[in-house]
Amino acid sequence: MPMLRTEKVLLLRGQQGRSVRVVREHYLRPDVPCRCALCRAACPRDGKLLSDDVTHYVVPDCKVVQDYLEILEFPELKGIIFMQTACQAVQHQKGRRQYNQLRNLVKDARHDCIVFANEFHQHSYLPREKGESMEKWQTRSIYNAAVWYYNHCLGQMPVVMVTEDEDAISQYGNETEGVFVISFKNYLDNFWPDLKAAHELFDSILQAQRERESESQENNGKEYPEHLPVEILEAGIKSGRYIQGILHVSKHRAQLEALVRLQGFGSKETELQSDILIYGARARNRAIHGDVVAVELLPLQEWKGRTVALCENETEDKAPADTASDPMPTGKVVGIIQKNWRDYVVTFPSKEDSQSQGRSAQKILVIPLDYRIPKIRISTQQAEALQDYRVVVHIDSWESTSVYPNGHFVRVLGRIGDLEGEIAAILVENSICVAPFSEIQMSEMPVSSSKNPWKVNPEEEKKRLDLRDTHLIFSIDPQGCEDVDDALSVRTLPNGNLELGVHIADVTHFVAANSYTDVEARARATTYYLVDRRYDMLPSVLSADICSLLSGVDRYAVSVLWELEKESYDMLRVCYNKTIIRSAYKLVYEAAQGLLDGDTNVVGDILELKNLDERTRQKKLAELVWAISKLTDIARHLRAKRDSCGALELEGVEIQVQLDDKHKIYGLIPKQPLEVQDTVAECMILANHWVAKKISENFPHQALLRQHPPPRQEFFTRLRECASAKGFSIDTRSNKTLAESLDKANDPLDPIVNKLLRSMATQAMSNALYFSTGSCPEKEFHHYGLALEKYTHFTSPIRRYADIVVHRLLTAATLNETKGDVKDYVFSNKDLQELCRHINNRKRAAQRAQKQSTKLFWCMYFKDTTTETEERCIADGVIYSIRTNGVLVFVPRYGIKGAAYVKNKEGLVISCQGDRSCEWKPGSLHRFQNKITSTTTTGESVTLSLFDHITVKIHVQTSRCHADTIKLEIIRNTPYQTSDTEVSQHFHVVKSDLAEEVSQSAEAAQHAQEKAGVEVIDEDYREYCQTKGASLYQLLEEIKDLALLDVSADIRT
Amino acid sequence: MAAPELLSDEGYRADGRRPAELRKIRARMGVFAQADGSAYIEQGNTKALAVVYGPHEMRGSRSKALPDRALVNCQYSVATFGTSERRRRPRGDRQTGELALQLQQTFEAAILTQLHPRSQIDIYVQILQADGGNYCAGVNAATLAVMDAGIPMRDYVCACSAGLAEDTPLADLSSPEEAAGGPRLVLALLPASGQIALLQLSARLHQERLETVLEAAGQACRALHAVLDRVVRERLREVTALLGD
Repeated sequence: MPMLRTEKVLLLRGQQGRSVRVVREHYLRPDVPCRCALCRAACPRDGKLLSDDVTHYVVPDCKVVQDYLEILEFPELKGIIFMQTACQAVQHQKGRRQYNQLRNLVKDARHDCIVFANEFHQHSYLPREKGESMEKWQTRSIYNAAVWYYNHCLGQMPVVMVTEDEDAISQYGNETEGVFVISFKNYLDNFWPDLKAAHELFDSILQAQRERESESQENNGKEYPEHLPVEILEAGIKSGRYIQGILHVSKHRAQLEALVRLQGFGSKETELQSDILIYGARARNRAIHGDVVAVELLPLQEWKGRTVALCENETEDKAPADTASDPMPTGKVVGIIQKNWRDYVVTFPSKEDSQSQGRSAQKILVIPLDYRIPKIRISTQQAEALQDYRVVVHIDSWESTSVYPNGHFVRVLGRIGDLEGEIAAILVENSICVAPFSEIQMSEMPVSSSKNPWKVNPEEEKKRLDLRDTHLIFSIDPQGCEDVDDALSVRTLPNGNLELGVHIADVTHFVAANSYTDVEARARATTYYLVDRRYDMLPSVLSADICSLLSGVDRYAVSVLWELEKESYDMLRVCYNKTIIRSAYKLVYEAAQGLLDGDTNVVGDILELKNLDERTRQKKLAELVWAISKLTDIARHLRAKRDSCGALELEGVEIQVQLDDKHKIYGLIPKQPLEVQDTVAECMILANHWVAKKISENFPHQALLRQHPPPRQEFFTRLRECASAKGFSIDTRSNKTLAESLDKANDPLDPIVNKLLRSMATQAMSNALYFSTGSCPEKEFHHYGLALEKYTHFTSPIRRYADIVVHRLLTAATLNETKGDVKDYVFSNKDLQELCRHINNRKRAAQRAQKQSTKLFWCMYFKDTTTETEERCIADGVIYSIRTNGVLVFVPRYGIKGAAYVKNKEGLVISCQGDRSCEWKPGSLHRFQNKITSTTTTGESVTLSLFDHITVKIHVQTSRCHADTIKLEIIRNTPYQTSDTEVSQHFHVVKSDLAEEVSQSAEAAQHAQEKAGVEVIDEDYREYCQTKGASLYQLLEEIKDLALLDVSADIRT
Repeated sequence: MAAPELLSDEGYRADGRRPAELRKIRARMGVFAQADGSAYIEQGNTKALAVVYGPHEMRGSRSKALPDRALVNCQYSVATFGTSERRRRPRGDRQTGELALQLQQTFEAAILTQLHPRSQIDIYVQILQADGGNYCAGVNAATLAVMDAGIPMRDYVCACSAGLAEDTPLADLSSPEEAAGGPRLVLALLPASGQIALLQLSARLHQERLETVLEAAGQACRALHAVLDRVVRERLREVTALLGD
């Protein structure tokens, strides 16, 4: 290929700061692909193409790409050509973050935009002339490339170049027919007059920009020290002078306290094990929660302690010095290495407050929903109109001269207090994006309707192992489950041995790698479950129909089959196959447990056994019962084996909601898990474990596994202390000793103690994570909680993207043995590690969102209590932690954790009357290791110790700008006496009450708003369909975040 | 600071080449009349000059003479003006000494030294402008110079470097690409037989990647061979035309 060689002369800064003349080669070629569907020339047409069904192509220049990238991200804007010149300008001037944003935009198959490498094309490249400024040259190049592009497409499509450079508009505006040069504002006005959101965003960005300019001119007195340049930070980190870490702002003292968690323990900082405290806004120096920062330690005499008293997130600081704990390493931020800004949900201050802010109504300090984010200054004229709404803003900059960061308004979410608005806020805060599936994604889906159900393809049938006639396969799931992704089978082989089978829906057969659906699923990474709704990872045609292993229909599956020795159940052989199966029964847990226990009443509930004559029924039933009991037997055996290696059984209090066909709640899964749940879980763990083995053997450097690192011993301190208060000792040296000592720590009088101890143990654990085997040494693959050396996720491809990746790896691993090409299925180590990071983040976001939505529902439930429902707010509580001015209480009835004060804001302490009900009186507090004593001035004293039962009243503290929080108030220091007999019943009904009632009241509110009485809320408004595996196996994995609802102190920060 | 991007998403390197493309090569043989053989080569902005004397009798201490083959003596230097900041010493430091040794090894493998026992062949290589792949340019220039001197060789020696961007191997690294700090593999190949005269790897490279990088470097060497071969034939045509007159 003939290439033209030219040279560029650059002046760079040399090592000693002198400028150095550098000559770089620059090759030009005739064969740069235009990536346009209209192209008639012989350009290669692979990869993403610019569509030909738009009215024009738009070419943004450097300035537009740098400043208005967010607007260009609107999916409505189509046919965007990013010139390489513009991309490079972004890379050099705006930094990696924005450049990556641009790269992702271009990579995203859903956006109609491309990059054209104009500087490498021999006709569209223009050398920079002597004395020409960089900006002028960039504009000229981009214009020239736009003209070339227009001519290349033979003038079939007008090209619009948008620029902010007035000179360019006048100079080039009329130069070439068909190539228009206009300003960005002009472009939006003329071409997208209806795209209101874009216009608003444009105004808001523009205003923010102007302000920044005027501010930099003013430059009055610096509020913060300047950040150090990157080179100095890097050198400093290397030499150990500065320390790199991630900033975590304290939830409860967001104004003052933040911790820096160390990142990548270097050899020099090993003596510094703990986190570093950053005290005060000046020391934090404009870093925002989540940023990667460089920290310099302060001298020892300036070290401070953290506050341990309970507090209520007051904006002003009232912390007296005496409540601080021992001094810990304290430092100050000297530079930010990576900013981690996202979009934030904020609320405008109420009218009275905003007036007091004074001077111009244009600039407003808005308050983020997340306490840990500082107030953001934005300019908008819409402040009045947006008073009662939750809105999204974006932070643009934070100059050293300004107390608060500058930002701009992006969009409105919904009214404050409105269910939909609040849920939208939760989604944005966790960066969850759940637009409905697009047409192009749906068009990739196979067709299946009730009239024309999906059928097995005869060609595919030949390739797969057919288990339809040979195996008795059945699924066991919770009631109302739609997406059945796993099924089981067991049978006796001719040689007398047993064959155990786990069959998982073959999702990857329908979701091709890098298809639109795949891209979307990867972006979502998991199905999101909120209390009253869920957001699917895959379109429902797959998740609820074609990939769901329903009974009586043929389905594709991936099966793992083990041959077991008949007596000892030793593994003899394992094989992995693509199969066709037909599930015989779709059982619910209760029915399966009934069969196992020999309870014949449940037989009537099994649909598949109806309409059969008595003899066949008995025969079939006998077969099924044999299979279930055999499975249970095998599972017990497996479990015992794992227990002997130290598998942990941990406690997570979770109340599951069950639904009937119409998605109405009718019951709760009993808190004691049925044994059959363990059986299913154990089989899944086995399948996951063996698949992990297989893929890590075949792809030692690029397999996706799941690790659970052992916890750091110091996190167990609190657990040991609490246990010793009750006279138990907990041995945390290994998972085995921990499991054993937790089993022993059981108070026969009070089962909640054991539960609390287990939940504390879970709090101390680190999270299980996905990782790529190429990125960490083999000894770290271990899964601590399950006590397995290798583990992955394979069994739920419908709702987790990790499982889809593992399915592809497994396919590749089995293909590997037959033929060569596996490229499509396998990621490189680096890509996979990146993907794992993404999935881990999304998973955490999903858990946070679920937790927050639960909290939202609790608050709505307790908020509208009337006198007659008052009773439900009073409950029994158990003290599980002591603080200097209060205690942390667990309410078993609702599974809530919260803080209760022993000393209130006026400085009064609690005291008890004759009937042991409590009152506030002046007095003092004394805190001991395991108890707290309040003494009034009159000499009466009350002592609260760990694991005491008290009666608390639950009430909701409402807040305009933040999420409502649940507060507890001690009203009696004796266990709660229920007057009526329905205690136990209460216990179970409560959560269903809650969700039902909250949605009803939300419904009522909506109706009131739209007086016309349009029926907006229909069935799917209350669609629950929670089919999260309700098994112990689930709990084990997601235990940490699903555990107790913690509205009080975060234990570790 | 993060390292610069070696390969853009569109598949171009910073200077506009595709991953497997070489820089522009220009070469000339017989640039000096006094020497027995000489050649000049440009690979992109890297410019190298090679001069060959010999085979001739041993100079200096005769005791060094080898009874069964010729001694290959190499010198390698970078001109003081060859880099963007002026160098103090053109040779004599550790690095150039090492490169000279490597040159010597390479050519001892390629030249049929047993045809000239007890004699000496001198190869002097000077880099006039350094812009990545200095050693490779030196080897290529020296090959042409040895041919110009009419010394029998087994084959051309073609040298080329290769690196790695993410998973894609890059052929013929330029100096900014070398400076990025990735792995660099230098290969000197006898293209006809596919024998390797020298293989050098700096920085760590995963074992699984080695094959692809090596393959890319080999491909580049074969492409280079085609170019060098054309130069030699061209030169031959010139010389025979002169003789014919």
